[in-house]
Amino acid sequence: MVVVESAGITDVGCKRTGNEDCYLVDDSMGLYIVADGMGGHQAGEVASRVVIETMKSYMERFQDGSSVEELEDEDLDLTREANRLLASIRLANSSVFSISQSKEACRGMGSTVSAIWFTGDSFVAANVGDSPIYLIQGDSIETLSVPHTVIAEQASMANGNAIKIDEKFRHMLTRGMGVIETVDADICENQCFNGNTFVICSDGLSDKLTPDEILDVVKDVKPDKACQDLVDLAKERGGEDNITVIIVRVKKVKRGSGFFASILKKLGLS
Amino acid sequence: MPILQLQFKDKIISKYRVEKGKSIKIGRRDTNDIVIENVSVSGRHAKVEWAENGGFMIVDLNSTNGTFVNDKMITTHALKHGDVISIGKHRLIFGYVKGEARPEVEEKTEEEGWMEKTMVLDTEEHREMLAKTAEELRAKITVDKVGILSYLSGAEGEFPLTKKLVKIGKDPANDIVVGGFTMGKVAATISMMPTGYQLSYVGGMTKPKVNDTTVKESVKLEEFDTITIGSLKAKFILKG
Repeated sequence: MVVVESAGITDVGCKRTGNEDCYLVDDSMGLYIVADGMGGHQAGEVASRVVIETMKSYMERFQDGSSVEELEDEDLDLTREANRLLASIRLANSSVFSISQSKEACRGMGSTVSAIWFTGDSFVAANVGDSPIYLIQGDSIETLSVPHTVIAEQASMANGNAIKIDEKFRHMLTRGMGVIETVDADICENQCFNGNTFVICSDGLSDKLTPDEILDVVKDVKPDKACQDLVDLAKERGGEDNITVIIVRVKKVKRGSGFFASILKKLGLS
Repeated sequence: MPILQLQFKDKIISKYRVEKGKSIKIGRRDTNDIVIENVSVSGRHAKVEWAENGGFMIVDLNSTNGTFVNDKMITTHALKHGDVISIGKHRLIFGYVKGEARPEVEEKTEEEGWMEKTMVLDTEEHREMLAKTAEELRAKITVDKVGILSYLSGAEGEFPLTKKLVKIGKDPANDIVVGGFTMGKVAATISMMPTGYQLSYVGGMTKPKVNDTTVKESVKLEEFDTITIGSLKAKFILKG
């Protein structure tokens, strides 16, 4: 079991009239999600909200232990928990896709999704699109998500032989939620440790602050204050996009009891 | 204008013309344009209509048993020549008359915000181009190196780290089982993160070691590191 201190915030920013970001902070489920919607005519708001609601209700079904059907397309390289989070993402993708197909005003809408789910003493992190997930351990910050943008995929290629891509495509996403019938999320999982701080945000923040700057603002600061500080800084620097941040700090990890742990418990030593 | 041909098993029952601007309602009630009298068909089951950006579409109207196109359940679907719509046990085959011009489905025009940073490419042609380029990019990104544990003692051969999370410990459900009184049920895990492989200590009296340094929490693995967990000793290698 992981005990955390969490906070989340969303801000329309300085230039936009609507907020197409949506987020979820659910401590009881240990589920934290940011979705950055896109599409003309405010359809982005619909897309991001559908992502959040679909994933939340799907994951809720496993919480109360109600009978769960065998997952189709289970990836054998992932744990059951990771497969579950992936299934919720796939379902959310289908939901957004089918709505975008049926409503004129929603044609072409999509969303990113970046999620963390704490389960047992570990976490699963998954993403589609370019909303980053960071993990701060001590003095270092690492990126758990994989950016699905043309420019990032280009950059991760071997040197030289860069394929020339038209300027206007370079910032575009190569993957999104609701764009096509299927979705391919990047996922990773690991143990949690005391002091680990996770930051999930939309690119409204990460385009304005470098990971190191985010580290400086978040380190040793209470999550709700750090969230506000990050938004303020992004707005100071222009705030052209909607800004959303979630910060989750691990306070305590209760590991599963082994033989000695249970003995120590009995002896009142743990 | 295309035709919807209603069939039951192999028998053609009737044909209906589909026109732009007119929606064709399908269901059991006789107020529908295409009436299918069968218990597995809902009163108002589905409709076929023309959409500016999608061409002729079949839309399910929250029917009890669903509407299928080419055996896949749909809520809405843009119809192509030859598509087989299944409603209950009946089938409706959508097709254009030979020689007839098929309606042009308008490409989505550049609207303001198209160049917006986080837009995903919308039009068919652009999306194809990008998909192709992304494929080429991904193929060029050298196949991610896979980590391998090359056993030095405690086991034979190699263990490829293809799973995102490899569990090591006493419990037989683990990916790598290491016995020992002081070994934790799950003693350690090796996780494949975007930044590389990480070894973490989970529980039990025995803590893992990397190059003889005890791992109290987590450490990033470098190639040729020697990992020791109880009686198991292995070298971490990258193969690509």
